[in-house]
Amino acid sequence: MAPPRTTADLVLRTTEFCRLLREHGLLATPGDTVDAARALGLVDVTDRADFHDALRAVLVHRAEDLRAFEECFLAFWGAAHAAPSAWVRRNTPAVPKKEPPLSLDRWAEGGGEDEEEREEAMLPSPSDLESLRRQDFSSFPDEALRDVTRVARHIARRLALRRSRRWEPARDGARPNLRRTLRLSVKTGGELSELAFRKRKVRRTKLVVLADVSGSMELYARLFLQFLFALQHSFARVETFVFSTRLSRITEQLKSRDYAQALAELSAGVTDWNGGTRIGESLKAFVEGWPRLLDRHTIVIVLSDGWETGDPVVLGEALASMRRRAARLVWLNPLLGSPDYEPLTQGMVVALPHLDVFAPAHDLQSLAQLGRHLAL
Amino acid sequence: MREDIRRIQELMEREGYVTDRAVATSVYLATTLGKPLLVEGHPGVGKTDIAKVLARVLDAELIRLQCYEGLDANTALYEWNYPKQLLHIKLDERSERPVGQREADIFSESFLLKRPLLQAITHQGRAVLLIDEVDRADEEFEAFLLEVLSDFQVSIPEVGTVRAKTRPAVVLTSNRSRDLSDALRRRCLYLWIDYPTLEKELRIVRSRVPGLSEKLALQLTTFMQSMRKLKLSKTPGVAESLDWAAALVALHADTLDAGLVQETLGCFLKDEADLRALSSRLAEGELAALSSPL
Repeated sequence: MAPPRTTADLVLRTTEFCRLLREHGLLATPGDTVDAARALGLVDVTDRADFHDALRAVLVHRAEDLRAFEECFLAFWGAAHAAPSAWVRRNTPAVPKKEPPLSLDRWAEGGGEDEEEREEAMLPSPSDLESLRRQDFSSFPDEALRDVTRVARHIARRLALRRSRRWEPARDGARPNLRRTLRLSVKTGGELSELAFRKRKVRRTKLVVLADVSGSMELYARLFLQFLFALQHSFARVETFVFSTRLSRITEQLKSRDYAQALAELSAGVTDWNGGTRIGESLKAFVEGWPRLLDRHTIVIVLSDGWETGDPVVLGEALASMRRRAARLVWLNPLLGSPDYEPLTQGMVVALPHLDVFAPAHDLQSLAQLGRHLAL
Repeated sequence: MREDIRRIQELMEREGYVTDRAVATSVYLATTLGKPLLVEGHPGVGKTDIAKVLARVLDAELIRLQCYEGLDANTALYEWNYPKQLLHIKLDERSERPVGQREADIFSESFLLKRPLLQAITHQGRAVLLIDEVDRADEEFEAFLLEVLSDFQVSIPEVGTVRAKTRPAVVLTSNRSRDLSDALRRRCLYLWIDYPTLEKELRIVRSRVPGLSEKLALQLTTFMQSMRKLKLSKTPGVAESLDWAAALVALHADTLDAGLVQETLGCFLKDEADLRALSSRLAEGELAALSSPL
């Protein structure tokens, strides 16, 4: 078989196809178009499956884009190609949907450096959100969901691995540790035979989030879940729990790539959504059930309005114990965003003395400012 | 199908890696276009094996960089062998040679500890560079990696710029514990490996665990396929199927029943909650249909 040539016409069509992909949210850079043309020169373009596989290998860069690619491929090149892979079939809903309103599965879209730098400036101003604040978050517009994601990524970046200015002795360090080296040389009469090294200390901040999903928090639960989902995906060292009367660990569920799927798994796994609130019992269950999650590199964030229906003494004890073992204890209260709110509920009164940070979390602005409290 | 792709698939299968043409096409294009191949997929579907088998197919040296949190350029690229340098200075103490030359000695290549990336760049002949679990390294390292992958050259202040004579084939794997940057994704060809179909998994088990009887292989793969439909917190991959198959061979088992599954659960379930959930379902006979003789 003579090697098939990529004809000018095919290149043109491929360019158009790349444009279509871009319109559907794929990266498909001009470089990709060039690669696609080169790739088609390398396979048998008369073979439908080769043609399809080659374009997919070059033009898809993340698993989330596979579905859009298959749809575009069908629409653009016609239906006669090989059946889509099992993954795509399984992950393609029967009813085609362009962008499910709940879906954050493109949360990572865009993401050039420039955009990231502008991030803070692009956050909606408080006045924009004033109207949203008291509004049910189920009608939160999609752009705002993207903003939630952006905030979460921003926070994740602040938390990401940072080198401290301090040094520590280390066997695998890059710089010689002169002080220690000289001390070691004493035993060999001043001969430098054994070298000691040092390296920069790494700050390994971890995050534990305990979110109240009881009835009184219903208004904010949706925003928080979006936020937690995005946070889980941007930052590897976060453990997430929800509670109302009982505590459930939802870290694994949030790891689902698709937000709708994560929600489905959550509603299957967590039984007491919007129930009463037993904050103390739940926090105590956390302290006792996951003692190893708390250490001096861990920041604990409690998201709750503090409407405690259980025993406030238990709450106080649980918080005291968390405060002792964690690096920082942050309580985010959505009600704090309201000017006339005073933290006088029994739960809040008991909690306040134990907190390092007590901050509002009713809108994006306040979530964005959370980053400030998270640098250890 | 293009002959070259068929050949790649054949060669990979001959090396014991059961695959399909989409994978073969990606591997072929990556090596021909000279682009890194980014492989993503669930744990235990054979992402790392692609690089290993590619090295065997190309008859190339496999150089592996295992990523982890806190991995830095020194561990990945090069390091001076300080103790050796010191020793050399000592031995050279009474030499009459000028200082400049003696200095050049200890900063020559024989005092360089080559870490995987530099090994791949300086390797004579063909090499496959496997950058395993790149999602576990941090963003700064990703940026550094991008730089190395685009030029395949590094500058070492004391030695000068080292350039790759032959560019290694590069395979990156990610378990998606963290999203990789678009910049890195753009640089790579992308391959998503899904859990295999029953037919493919059967072929994998047969080829990798030859001691297993036909009947048992079919029972085991059918069972594993149904396992993946359950809501488990750690869904077992192909690696688990293979472990389990090997265990069954060691036990001289000839048919899969609830009792045997119960005894060997630990081969494919690695989470305590999953173990408990499945064992209670087994005890209730719920999964009996799965393991009925076929």
